[in-house]
Amino acid sequence: MIELLKVPSLLTVQDSGRKGYRKLGVPVSGYMDDYSARIANYLVGNPGDAPLLEFLLAGPTLRFNASAVFAVAGDVDLKLNGLPIEPWESHWAKRGDVLEVGTLRSGLYGYIAFAGGIKCEKLLGSCSTYSRANLGRPLKAGDRLTLGYAILAGKEGRSLHRDLRPDYSGNEREIRVLLGPNLEHFTEEGVGTFISETYTVTPESDRMGYRFDGPAIGHSSLGADIVTEPLVPGAVQVPANGKPIVMMRDAQTTGGYAKIATVISADLHLLAQSRPGTRVRFKAVNVEEAQEILRRCEKTLRAIEEFLAGKMKSYRIRTFGEEKIAFTKVEKGG
Amino acid sequence: MQPVINPAGDSTLLISFGETIDEGINERVHAIARAIEKAGFEWLVETVPAYSSLLVIYDPLKVTYTEVEASIKPLLNAEGCTVEGRLVKIPVVYGGKYGPDIEFVAEHNGLTVDDVIEIHSRPVYRVYFLGFLPGFAYLGGMDERIATPRLEKPRLKVPAGSVGIAGKQTGIYPLESPGGWRLIGRTPLRLFNPAKEPPTLLQPGDRVKFVPIDEEEFRELYEKEWGEGVD
Repeated sequence: MIELLKVPSLLTVQDSGRKGYRKLGVPVSGYMDDYSARIANYLVGNPGDAPLLEFLLAGPTLRFNASAVFAVAGDVDLKLNGLPIEPWESHWAKRGDVLEVGTLRSGLYGYIAFAGGIKCEKLLGSCSTYSRANLGRPLKAGDRLTLGYAILAGKEGRSLHRDLRPDYSGNEREIRVLLGPNLEHFTEEGVGTFISETYTVTPESDRMGYRFDGPAIGHSSLGADIVTEPLVPGAVQVPANGKPIVMMRDAQTTGGYAKIATVISADLHLLAQSRPGTRVRFKAVNVEEAQEILRRCEKTLRAIEEFLAGKMKSYRIRTFGEEKIAFTKVEKGG
Repeated sequence: MQPVINPAGDSTLLISFGETIDEGINERVHAIARAIEKAGFEWLVETVPAYSSLLVIYDPLKVTYTEVEASIKPLLNAEGCTVEGRLVKIPVVYGGKYGPDIEFVAEHNGLTVDDVIEIHSRPVYRVYFLGFLPGFAYLGGMDERIATPRLEKPRLKVPAGSVGIAGKQTGIYPLESPGGWRLIGRTPLRLFNPAKEPPTLLQPGDRVKFVPIDEEEFRELYEKEWGEGVD
């Protein structure tokens, strides 16, 4: 069991989200950055979708009331009993140990995974917090969390190579999108504005949606409103003021503003980690490209999972002058 | 009428019958949704119907967009299987502190409060789909004689169960939330309960009839439904 001693910001339990209830108006929820969250779980030997803690900017201080193996994903300082330890590595904690998680130096969301996952009541098939509908609630100091059963031996001391850690620093990025499906509600010039200008993430952004400031996107004579249509995370709605809003994991399931595009699944984590003030350029790709990018991304995550489990070895390769990490199977007995 | 099919992102396909609110088209949307769910595609994640569109969510790691489109095309003529909705009676205490805007709705339309109650509780409404909030039903069939614009400034807190009017629409807030609808009453029924399966009182295709009740009955039903007294 772990006990939360200090909770400085929004701290929630999340997993891969709710499936099958969107037709009843229930948002998918789940971790904002699937890439970091899955790696945090792999570091402690969990399946990628095991329930873990998600914090916004500043992490909690917590006490272990039994032995556990944990890992933190994020660009952050950590202290175990006052001594610095590394993120992106799995560590052993014993009864009474206190973990202090600092404030993220880059990115917005950090993750704390525990071997065995966090035990929680599954509501509508998921542990993800969506407090507006009483599906869990944000955690506060004094809360105690029970961990799932796991054999801990061999789960500690796993480390993700620096080059494989996602980099959320920098205040400019390119986010790839698929144009549509309501393009007839925009002028050709409006679509051109969206993919050629730079947009800035505003502070009015949360788990439900990220709002952007930048040159207004022009609507056609059909206007900004549509007859209410289904929505998914990543959908880019443009209300009458012409400023785009990207729907995130807690987005409502249907919406009445015209959608100019949808952020590709592989880039949604990068957008989720973009702080207010980040300058974003949207780049259009087609559906085949978007799906190919996602398959490659998934392949990398699978390789990372096997590498952390000791089933793969990493080595460096140089292609087109660029140094990259590659993986190879560990030979039996080798 | 043949729908238009488009990708709406890399994991979804949108089937759209244009921007119309029509019972026949909405029934077809639900018929296609059922046909797709029944077909047992292993790549299907879920379907989300709205007024005249249906979103098909699939796993792009198992299938390509072109394959999904090809699998779905033969199912687009699914028709004739009318949604077998139930008739759900929703008790409502109209006016007073439960419906603070009912006088405004009456005045705006040149009616008495009793007229508003009579006109609102007479029709049988159809649930077109659920969206916006868990368990929120988009109802069709409100009498335009009681149509009223939204509040100029939305309330920060609307209690769960509040029955409201926004333009030509009527609906029930399933959860406490901010909201700009004109509130005319409140139901003691719980529209969203995550501990139940299904978690929503209303399902798409259901028909809804509002039944006026008095405050005493409201209090009794509320306690039975929520396990606590109303505040």
